[in-house]
Amino acid sequence: MSHALAAALALLASAATTPPASETVVRPGESLGQLAARTLGSEGAGPELLAFNHLDGVPAAGTRLLLPGPERARAVAAIGSARSAVVQAPPGSARTEAEARLAEAESLLARARYAEAAAQADGAWKLLADAREERSHFAVAVEPDGRTRVAVREGVPVRVEAQGRTRAVRAGETLTVIRGEPPGPPQSESSAGPTGEPPVLLSPEPGLKLALEPAPGGLGPVRFAWKPVPEATGYVLDLAGPRKTLSVRSAVPVVTIPGLPGGKYRWTVRAVQSDGTLGPPTSRVVQLVPGRIKLEVKETPWQ
Amino acid sequence: MALCLPLLVCAPACRREAKAPPAPAPKQSIRATLAQVRGAVSVKRAAGDEWQAAVNGTALYDDDKVRTERGGSAELRFPSGTVVAVSEDTLLGIAETQAAPGRPQADVTVLRGTVDATLDRPANQSLTVGTPAATVRAGREIVFQ
Repeated sequence: MSHALAAALALLASAATTPPASETVVRPGESLGQLAARTLGSEGAGPELLAFNHLDGVPAAGTRLLLPGPERARAVAAIGSARSAVVQAPPGSARTEAEARLAEAESLLARARYAEAAAQADGAWKLLADAREERSHFAVAVEPDGRTRVAVREGVPVRVEAQGRTRAVRAGETLTVIRGEPPGPPQSESSAGPTGEPPVLLSPEPGLKLALEPAPGGLGPVRFAWKPVPEATGYVLDLAGPRKTLSVRSAVPVVTIPGLPGGKYRWTVRAVQSDGTLGPPTSRVVQLVPGRIKLEVKETPWQ
Repeated sequence: MALCLPLLVCAPACRREAKAPPAPAPKQSIRATLAQVRGAVSVKRAAGDEWQAAVNGTALYDDDKVRTERGGSAELRFPSGTVVAVSEDTLLGIAETQAAPGRPQADVTVLRGTVDATLDRPANQSLTVGTPAATVRAGREIVFQ
C-alpha cells in the first residue's frame, strides 16, 4: 500500500472516530525529525506522528498527514506533571512504581495512544500524591520506669494497645501510657499549647546557602546550634528536606550531622522539658549545595 | 593480671576498628539493617553476650539488641522500606521471639530511649513497636492467625 493511500485511509478512519484535527503536508526534502519538530514540537516525535497516521515508513513529499488534537496536549501535560512528581519524590517503592508507570505512559504516547498515556501518567502522579498524603511519622519515647509516650507527627493514626484496651492516636496528638495501666485519651499537642521557652537558633543563619564538601550521606558536615533553654533536659532537632527527614535527640544545644543530601531543609528545634514534654518549636530554613565556600545571602561590610 | 593488662590497653583501639558484629547462622532472615550510624552504637547478637561496635550495613536478626550511647544514633531500615531512627541513650530489641505474656510479637521492642518511625506507604507497610507499657502499631492492619 502506498503511503499516500495509507494516509488517505487514515484520514477517513480518523474522521469517523475523532473530532476534526488539523492537517499538514510533507514538504520536499523534509526528514521525519524535521516534520515532527515542525508539527509536534519535538524531533523525536516522528514515530508518534507515523503511528497517529497509521503509517509504517517515512511519508513522501506532498503526503497529507493528520495532526493530533487536544487529546495529545492532555497526555503530554499529564506526563509532564508525572515526570516532575517522580523527580521530586523520595526514593522508595512508590517512586519505583511511579517510574514504571511513567515509562509506560511515554511508550503509549510514542504509539499515539493518547488517552491511555494520559491515564498511565495520571496514575503515576496519583500514586506519589497518595504516598505523600499517607506517610506515617511517629515517635515512641520510653522512660526508665517504662512509661511510654507516643507522639504522632503526621499521617494516618497509630494504634496504642495496653492492658487489653486500644486507642487511636492521630497526627498532632500524644498519648502517655503508664506501665500496668490502660491508655487514657490522647492529648492534642496544639490545644494543650506547649509551655516553656522556644529555643533561640544560632546557626546556620536564616536564609543561608551552605556550600559543603561531599560527605557520607551527601554533603557535610552540617552543624546546627542554638542557645540553651533554661531547665531543658535535652533537645529534639527535626530536619525535613526534599529527600530525607530526620529526628535527632541531643542532650546539648548543638548537633552535627556528618552528611545530608543536597537541597532545602527546614530545621526545627524543641526543648525537652523536665516533665518529658516538648516545648514550643523554633524553625529555620537552610539550603545545602555542593561547593567549597560559604555563600552569605546577607550583605557584609567586609570587602 | 599480666594477661589482662594488654587486653585493657587494647580495648579502646579495638573499638575504633569497627567491624560488623558476626552474623548468626545463615538460616535466619534479615529483619533490618543499620544505617546512618553515628557515635557509639553497639549490637549484641541473640546468641552472644558481648556488645560489639555497629557499622553501617550491619544486618540485624531476631532477638538481636541495639544500644546507642550518649551522642550516638542510627537508623534501622526494614525490608518493607520502613525507617526507624534511633536516638541517643536508647536500648531496643529486634523482633523478639519470646514476647511478654499476652503481647504480640513486635518488630522492635524499645526498652529505653526514643525511636522515630517513618512509613512512606503505610497502606502497604506495617510496624509494631513494643515497650514495657504498651504496643504501638502503625500502618496496615495485621490479622494474627
